[in-house]
Order: sequence, then C-alpha cells, then structure tokens
Amino acid sequence: MRIRPCVLGLLFPALPAALSADSLQERLSKLPYGIVYEAYHGDNWELFVMNADGTGKKNLTNTKDSHELYPQASPDGTRICFVNDAGEGRAVVRSVCVMNADGSGRQTIAQYARQPFWSADSKTIGYLPQEFRKFNVVDYFSKGMRFYDVASGKDRPHQNSARIHHLYNPSFASNGKWITSTVHAGMGYKHAILLIGAEGEQILDLKLRGCRPCLSPDGKKIAWGEDDHKISVAELAVDSATPKPGRRLLEIVHPKDKIYHVDWAPDSRHLSFSCGVPSKGDITKRDTHEAACEIVGVYAKGWNILAVALPEDDGGTGKTIDLTTAGPESFANLTNNGLSNKEPTWLNRTARE
Amino acid sequence: MRVESFQPLGLLSTALLLTSCGDHEAASGVETVEIATKSGIPMIHLPGGEFEMGGGKGNEDEHPLHTVVLSPFLIDKTEVTHAMFTSAQLPNPSHWKDDQDKPVESLRWRDAKLYCNGRSLMDGLTPCYDEKKSGLPCDFSANGYRLPTEAEWEYAARAGSRGDYDFGSARKLKHYALFEDNSRKRTHPVGSKKPNRWGIHGLYGNVAEWCQDAYDPAYYRNSPSNDPTGPDAGAEDVKRVVRGGSWKASAGMCRARFRQGKQTGDSDACFTADFCGFRCVRRISEEEFAKLRGP
Repeated sequence: MRIRPCVLGLLFPALPAALSADSLQERLSKLPYGIVYEAYHGDNWELFVMNADGTGKKNLTNTKDSHELYPQASPDGTRICFVNDAGEGRAVVRSVCVMNADGSGRQTIAQYARQPFWSADSKTIGYLPQEFRKFNVVDYFSKGMRFYDVASGKDRPHQNSARIHHLYNPSFASNGKWITSTVHAGMGYKHAILLIGAEGEQILDLKLRGCRPCLSPDGKKIAWGEDDHKISVAELAVDSATPKPGRRLLEIVHPKDKIYHVDWAPDSRHLSFSCGVPSKGDITKRDTHEAACEIVGVYAKGWNILAVALPEDDGGTGKTIDLTTAGPESFANLTNNGLSNKEPTWLNRTARE
Repeated sequence: MRVESFQPLGLLSTALLLTSCGDHEAASGVETVEIATKSGIPMIHLPGGEFEMGGGKGNEDEHPLHTVVLSPFLIDKTEVTHAMFTSAQLPNPSHWKDDQDKPVESLRWRDAKLYCNGRSLMDGLTPCYDEKKSGLPCDFSANGYRLPTEAEWEYAARAGSRGDYDFGSARKLKHYALFEDNSRKRTHPVGSKKPNRWGIHGLYGNVAEWCQDAYDPAYYRNSPSNDPTGPDAGAEDVKRVVRGGSWKASAGMCRARFRQGKQTGDSDACFTADFCGFRCVRRISEEEFAKLRGP
C-alpha cells in the first residue's frame, strides 16, 4: 500500500534530508523562487512564504484580527496582492489588497471584490467586483472586471465589463493580450474555461472540461483542473490569433484526494498546487465558511502544498504523475502540517534582485 | 410573529374536490386561500389535515401507503424564480436565465436554504436555518421560510386526491406539467401550465424540487404520522429528497408520490443539476391565519 503524499511529511518530518540527490525537493532547493500560500493558523487565515523546496517558512502577515487569503505574487517578485476578509457570515467584507513581497506597505485597493491577478509587467492588478454586497463564499460570486494601476492608483473597468459575469480564477497571459478564467452560469455559458481579450470584447471558449486555468509565463502552455482529482497540462500558444489547446503534456492525478489551485513557476517548468481530502469545511474554525473545501475561505483539513516538474522531453506523449504511486523524484510535499494550506503562488526572487 | 407582513389578496377559493374519475377519488372540501407575502410573493394557505402518503403500488420506496397528519402551512404558489432568488443577493447558478420568471435550477440544497433565510429576513420573520452550524440545521418552530418536508410537498401535490396526479390520468399531464414530452429540453416561466386543484403551479414538472428531508428509501415503514420531517441525518452530507417532475422527467417521474434522493452538491464547487429547483413553505398557526384573513 502506498502512503498518501499529502501526509508523508507528517509521518517522516525529516524527509527532505533523507531524499536522494535526484529528488525533486533537492532540485527545487536550487531554484531562485519562493512560494506564497494561504494557511489557517491560530484561528486565523494568514499568508506564508517558503523556499521552493518547502524550507524557510515565514508568516508574512501575522494579523490576529484580520484574515488574508488568495495570494498572487507579481511577476517581478516585488509585490503580493491578496484578499482580506473582515466580519462574519453574510456580513463579511472581502477586499482586494496589495503589499510588498516582505509583507510591508499593505494597502486596500477595492472593497466587495475578490480574485486579484497581475498583468505580466506587474503594473496592473485585475480583480472581480462581487455580484452583490452581501457576502457569499462561492467562487463565481462576481460581476464585471476592473483594473487597478499600481503606480497611479487609478481604477478602470474592463471594456467588456458589463457583459462579464460569474467569472472565477482569472489570470493574465504573458503577452498581455488575454485573460483566462472559468465562468460558471454566466455570459451564456453553463460552465467553461475562457480566453477573454484583455482589451475589447473578444471571448474564446477553450472547450476544456474543468476549471481554474493558469497560463505559463513562457506563453506556450496551459494548466487547469480537469476534475476534482486531476490537473492537466496542454500546449496553448497565446500569441496565435485564436489560441487553442494542443498536445497534452502532463496529467497529475490522485484517485481519492482533491487536487486544486495549480500555478506555474516563473521558469514554466514547475507547477505547484494544493491537495487534500474532500470536505465541506469545518465551521467550528473561527471565520471560516461551509462549502467545497477548495473554495477561498473554507477550511480544508489536511490540505498541503505540493510541486511537480514537467517532463524533460516535451516532444513525447503526455506523462501521468499518480500522486499515490509516484516517488520523490516526481513530486515534492512542500508543507506537511495540513492546516488548510492552499492557493500557492510562485514568487520570483530573481527578478527583483 | 409578524402578521402585518402579509397582504391578504382576499382571494378565497374553496377547492371542492371532485367525485371519483379514473384515479381521482372523492374527498372532503378543503378551503385554500391565496395570500401575498410582504415581498409580494403569492403563497397558498393549506389548512393541514390528514392524508394518505405513498402507495401500495409503484416503486419500492413509495411503500407502504400510510396516514400522515400535517399542521397548517403556507406554500409558494410557484417554484422560486430568478427574480425572487436574486432579490436575496445570492449568486444564481441557473443555466436558463433568459426570463426572470423561469424557475432557478442547478441549485445546491444549501443554496435553497440560504434563500429561505434571506427571504425570512426580508419579510421580518425568524430564519429557520442556523447558518452558524454545519449543515444549516432547521428549526421547525421558527416562523420563517424553509424547504417543504416531503410530506408537506406530497400533501400539496395530491390536493386531496389519492391517484398518481390530482387531475386524473397521465393523459392530462401535458396541461399541468412541463416534462420530457412538452418541455423542448428546457425550463419555462412558472405558471405556464394549469395549477392543481389547490391553486399551486408547477408541482408536477418544470423543475424538480428540493425538500428538507434526508432520503431513506425505507423511511415510510416507520415514519411518524404527525408532521414527519424525515430521517435524522445530522450535519452529514447525505442524499436529500427531491420531489416532482422536471423538464427532463418522464410522466412516471411526475407522479405525486414519486420519490428520489439526490446528493446535495454542498461540497461540490461545480454542481450543475439543471433540473433541481425548489419552493418555500412556512408553518402558520390558526391564530396567525385568522389575523391574516381578517374579519
């Protein structure tokens, strides 16, 4: 019987030291990146940063009376945008905030808003206004899209904002031309993964099953959650006039645990994601909500952050990494305390140096 | 208790139940009254009483035929529409939103309960569901809106009849319900078809309706006779009862006593059961109803 990767760290706390030289964890230790993620510590949602191999964890926010979630690191590695929750139940006010990568210089840029995302030049933060003022935890509770200019503090709607409805998990393409996002029960779609023109009104349905897409920084690939138990990676050239998914490159699967929140490393060669048992949360935890546990604000007991590397040979057929059978050369457990570690985002430490 | 929150329409309809015709059986006269809530939503007052639930024929989970006694209650005249649902500032997960008078669908069980609470607050009533507890347990003594129990739903659908449909044979179903034969594979505005004899629309079709009860196929064998509320499921994410036909249902699934259980979708971020909607009920005492009717 294979041991669930998400709990390996609990069983063997000294695991990193015991790994062989060709383990992924060893290779990750040489990357000039960090990973920022959300976790629930001491009755509080906080943002943490760690090295790419899972060492050097540090609480970036340390706010006893404030909840920080959904971090997104700017491509230049200097800033992190995130959401802040204040209040209880349907009176929660969710705000979009930004701070320096070391946790200093925090400021709120929009209230009743969620799911911020960075432009490739790190100058603009996109975000989704809430559909209504009264809070709801579901991920697609959004209407419209706005852009915040970090330098000037000016805020403007997307040109097609009036039509944009029920998006979640948006992110920019590296060429700045597209925004990819899931839509649920909105804009005439039942459920779809879209490419939305960053300017103008163009919308393409990528015809991919699943949700939460993420485009690689090199502009050549897309990763997304194909279902609760599978993250897929395929070719997608964002520079083409009408980008379409191509050859499948990788599938990451776990037959029992959920795997979500995939994010590309700046080198477009590594992926981080979160993984854990399905649940609908634990509302005995202060200021958390009840819904599918992958949703922002829902306590995900036992969830941890993992990373994998793309296969070296991109010319071959798609590879599958089964997290219940793969060895340490294929994946790395980066957190192991199971305290609702979710929403990893890679922090590029090269770019800011 | 906020009786003043209601605006009686003065529409008093005495549903004189018809004599035997096919599956129809004679029943005593039942007086139903249509009122409008503070939010302007039409509801039908059902005086409560005794009826025969389930049946000796049909699917195994419909057995046995047993006597149930219900307290008076109000039930929505139609299924909850897009316009009604969004008034509670909730995200509408429905597929067919081209008409605000169409019923909501693709709803998780939890979404329906959050709407009930939101509507209770809008009408100055005490919410039935405790949103601070897992599974949103229901306080049946509260005066707010909630999902119907399976027994309340069937009582309303039967409207005093004992057959498969309150209007008689399945041949007439197309006049009363939107189902697979006439729906063109989509929902339609509520009230598009004839109401049943108690003035309630859409119970037999358009969208199936979430009920409060946990689903247990053997529940009828030992369910209590007075105001049954279903098996005790605690906060577990078990299957819940869905009643009534839908745009995709066969005529057999539109029968008043047809039962099905469905996973709630409460822990599913992408729940897309586009045949699941709901309507609300609320308990009402004789005294409150007397005040509501006026002299």
